[in-house]
Amino acid sequence: MVLVLALGDLHVPHRAADLPPKFKSMLVPGKIQHIICTGNLCIKEIHDYLKTICPDLHIVRGEFDEDARYPESKTLTIGQFKLGLCHGHQVIPWGDLDSLAMLQRQLDVDILVTGHTHQFTAYKHEGGVVINPGSATGAYSSINQDVNPSFVLMDIDGLRVTIYVYELIDGEVKVDKIEFKKTSTTNSAP
Amino acid sequence: MAIPEEEVERARTQDPCTSNASPSQDHRFEKLRGVRWRINLGILPSSPSSTIDELRRVTADSRRRYAALRRRLLIDPHLPKKGTNSSDLTIDNPLSQNPDSTWGRFFRNAELEKTLDQDLSRLYPEHGSYFQSSGCQGMLRRILLLWCLKHPEIGYRQGMHELLAPLLYVLQVDVQYLTEVRSNYEDQFIDLFDELAFQERDSGAYDFDIKKVLDDSMEEEGDENGPPFGSTKKKKPKRFDELDTETQTAVLLSDAYGAEGELGIVLSDKFMEHDAYTMFDALMYGGSSLGSVSVANFFVYSAPNDSVTGLPPVIEASAALYHLLSLVDASLHSHLVELGVEPQYFALRWLRVLFGREFPLNNLLIVWDEIFSADNSEIERGVEADLGFEFRIISSPRGALVVGMAVSMILYLRSSLLATENATSSLKRLLNFPEDIDLSKVIEKAKSLQTLALEINAHRDLFPKASRKPMRGHSLSVDSISLGSSPVGIVPESYWEEKWRVLNSAEEEQRKKKAIQRPKAVKKSWSERVKQRLSRTESDPSPAEANKNGNKPSIRRSLLDDLSRQLGEKAIDPPEFPNPDTDIERSSTVSDSPSVDYEENNSDKGIGENQTDLPLSVPENESEEKSGTNIFREKKILSGTFQRLWRLGRNLSSEETSETKEAKPIDSEDGKTDSDSTAGNGDGLKNTAQSMLEQIQVIESVLELSSPENMTENGRLTVEEALRELRRLGNMLLSDM
Repeated sequence: MVLVLALGDLHVPHRAADLPPKFKSMLVPGKIQHIICTGNLCIKEIHDYLKTICPDLHIVRGEFDEDARYPESKTLTIGQFKLGLCHGHQVIPWGDLDSLAMLQRQLDVDILVTGHTHQFTAYKHEGGVVINPGSATGAYSSINQDVNPSFVLMDIDGLRVTIYVYELIDGEVKVDKIEFKKTSTTNSAP
Repeated sequence: MAIPEEEVERARTQDPCTSNASPSQDHRFEKLRGVRWRINLGILPSSPSSTIDELRRVTADSRRRYAALRRRLLIDPHLPKKGTNSSDLTIDNPLSQNPDSTWGRFFRNAELEKTLDQDLSRLYPEHGSYFQSSGCQGMLRRILLLWCLKHPEIGYRQGMHELLAPLLYVLQVDVQYLTEVRSNYEDQFIDLFDELAFQERDSGAYDFDIKKVLDDSMEEEGDENGPPFGSTKKKKPKRFDELDTETQTAVLLSDAYGAEGELGIVLSDKFMEHDAYTMFDALMYGGSSLGSVSVANFFVYSAPNDSVTGLPPVIEASAALYHLLSLVDASLHSHLVELGVEPQYFALRWLRVLFGREFPLNNLLIVWDEIFSADNSEIERGVEADLGFEFRIISSPRGALVVGMAVSMILYLRSSLLATENATSSLKRLLNFPEDIDLSKVIEKAKSLQTLALEINAHRDLFPKASRKPMRGHSLSVDSISLGSSPVGIVPESYWEEKWRVLNSAEEEQRKKKAIQRPKAVKKSWSERVKQRLSRTESDPSPAEANKNGNKPSIRRSLLDDLSRQLGEKAIDPPEFPNPDTDIERSSTVSDSPSVDYEENNSDKGIGENQTDLPLSVPENESEEKSGTNIFREKKILSGTFQRLWRLGRNLSSEETSETKEAKPIDSEDGKTDSDSTAGNGDGLKNTAQSMLEQIQVIESVLELSSPENMTENGRLTVEEALRELRRLGNMLLSDM
C-alpha cells in the first residue's frame, strides 16, 4: 500500500502565499511514501517544505520555476505501475487529452501526471490514466481566474490504484475517489 | 518454518522436574508441553477427569474468539466497511485526521507494527531458523498487535515478545511431535477405504465382514478413528489400544473427526496462532484474583489503587525479592544493598520476561514448567484480610515461586557477588547469568524458598496498614535531613507513639528469624534505609562487632537474660510509654550535639542507649563520620517492648544516663556514644558487656526451647528484643574504641 502525493502549480510566492491551512494540516509527514510534483513551485522554500513531508520527491520543471535543474519530464515505477511526470506547458493544446495521450505513449507509462491548467482532471484513456492534480494553492492561471485548490493522493496497491482527489471548495475539503485497475503486470523495459 | 529435529528432541526429552505430586495434576500430557501449559495457565480444564472431548471443545471456543478478534481488529482499509457508502470520503480518506477513520486506525496499527518489528527482528537469534522465519514472525506480530489493541491501557512494552516466543515454540514442538507420531503411526490417522479388500466376498451380498478382511490382511483395526482399513504398509501397525498412552493421547487430540472437528484438534498447525494468543493472554492476565501473577502488571508504571505500599507492582515485587533474600541470606543482601544495587535494576528484566533472558531456551522451558505448575490462585487470607499484603506477588504460590526462583538465582551467584566491589560489576554479574548451571538445583532451592515466602506472607497478615505510611514518611524525611553530615535522627513524638501502638508480632518473628540465621554484620548506607524499610530488613551488628563476636556472645547472652526477665514481667500497655518520653525530653535538653535541624522534638540521643528501635539516623550518621563504626539500622515499629528496653537500658547503666546528660559534641556528634566515651569508665563498659551477655543468653535459651519455626509468641518477642539490645550495646562499645 503505497501512498503517492501528486500536486503542483503552487506559484509561491508570485501568485499565492502558501498552501491552504486545511491542506497543510492534512499533509502530515510519515504517511506518504512518494511525492510527485508537476512543477511551478516556484521557490526553493516550497521544495524544502515538500521534502519534509516525504523525502522521496520527484519534480519536473515548470515555466516559472526558479530552479533550472529540474528535468522536463520524468518517469518512475512504483509497485506495478509506471508513472510519467511532465509539467504540461510543453503539450499543446494545453490540457488536451489526445495530445497528452501522445505524451503518455511516448513515455510509455500507465499513469501520466501533468499540470499547468490549474484544473483537476482525470481521464481513463487507452489502458492508462491521465491525471491533472490542479493547483494546490489555487493560484490563478492564464486561462482561469477562479481556481479551487486541489491535489491528488494515489494509493497504489498491487494492480489497483485508488485515486483520492482533495479539493477545497468554499472553504471545505471535499474528497472524491476514482479506482483504476491495471490489466496486466508491468514488464521490465527491454 | 520448522524447528530443527534435534531441537525438538531436546525440548521434549528434557523432562521437567515435575515433582508436583499433587493428585490434581493431570498426568496425561506429560510430554506434550503445549497442552500441559495450557492446562496450567487455565485455558484448558485442569481436572484430570476432563475428557479429551472437553479439551477439544474449550480449545475450539478459544480459537473462535481469537479469530473473531482478528477479523475485527486487523484492518484492511481497502475493504469498505459494511454499511458505509463510499461518499463518506471526507472521513475515510488516507489523509484524514479523523481518528475514527479506518485509515487512521490503519496508520496507528502500522506504527505499532513498526515498534513490534524492531523487537521481533532481534528475537532469539540463536534459534533464528524458527523464530526469524517469516511465518513465525508474522504470527508473533499479529498476536502482539491484537493483544495490544485489545488492551490499550498497557499497549506494547518491550519484553512482551520474549514472553510470547517460548509459548509459540512449545506449541510448535508439540505439532512437530505430532507429525512424527503421524509418520510413525500413519494408519491411525488416515482413513483408507480404497484398499479395503473386497476379495472375500463369498455370497454376492455386500456382506462386508470386517473381521474376515482383517483376518486376511492381518492388519490392525482402528476403532474410534474410523472404519477399519486394510493396509499393505511395510510398517507394523498396531492396534489403537496397543499404542502407548502417549501416542494414544496424541492421536485422540488430533483426530479430525473428534469433538468440534478440525477446530478442536488440540495440537494443530493451523491454529497455533490462536492458541498462542490465548496462552499469552492467560499469562498476562493470570488470574482474576488480586494476588495471582499477572505478568501484565509488571509492565504497568503506576501503582494500582489498592496496593499497600503504593508502588508499581514490579517495584513491589523487586522489594519482595530483596526481602526474601534478606531473610535467607542477610549478608549477601546487605552487601548488595550497600553497593547500591537496587533490586529492580535486575529484577525488572527477570520479572517482566519471567527469566526469559537469563536462561537458554531449553532451560527456560523447564523453569516455566515449574512456574506454571504452581497454582496461581490467591492464598486464603485470614480475617484481617482487609489489611492487604504488603507484597502482592507473594500471595499466590506461583508468585512465591517466581520470587523464590529469583532469590535462588541470586544465591547461586553468591560468591561472585560478594566479591564485587561496586554496583556495576554486581549488576553485570546478575544480568549475565551463566549458561551452564545445574538447573535442577536452582529449581529445588527455588521451591524451598517458595514455601518460605508463602510463610512470610501468612504472617504478614496481622500487620496493619497504618504503620507503613508514617514510617515511610519518616524515613524519607530523616533521609533528607541526614544527608548532611550531622546526625539528626530525631524522631517525632508521634512517631514513637505510633510505633508502639502497633502490634508487631509478625515483625518480630521475622526479625528473629533473620537474626538467628545470620550473625554477620554489614554496613549499610543511608540511602538504603528507605529500601530497608520497604523490604523490612533488619539491621545487623556492624562488622566491627562481628569481629569481636568471639568475646561478645557471652555478653550478649547476659543482656538477653536481663531483657527477658524484664519483658516477662509485664505486658505491653500504653501507660508505660510516657516515661520514655519524659526522659527523652530531659536528655534532649541536655545534649546539644546534634545541633542541626531537628524536625522532631525528641532527640535521638536523648532517648538514651535503649533506642534500639530508633531508625537511628544517629547511628547512621555516626557511621558516616567514623567510617568504621557500625550503624543501627533498626527500623521498625515500636511496641511495648520498646519501653522495656528503654527501662532496661536505664537500669543497666544508671551512670550512663548521667553520662548522657553530659554529652559533648564530638566530631561524631553522637550524644549516646559520646556519653559513653566521655564517661569512659570501665564500669559503664563492663555493664554494657554484661548486658550483652545476658541478652545472648536469653536468645540461646529461647532457641533451645524451640526451633525458629515454632517459637511461641513470648519467645519470639524475647529474642527480638534481646537482639536489638545486643546490637545497640555493641554499637555503643564500638564507638567507644
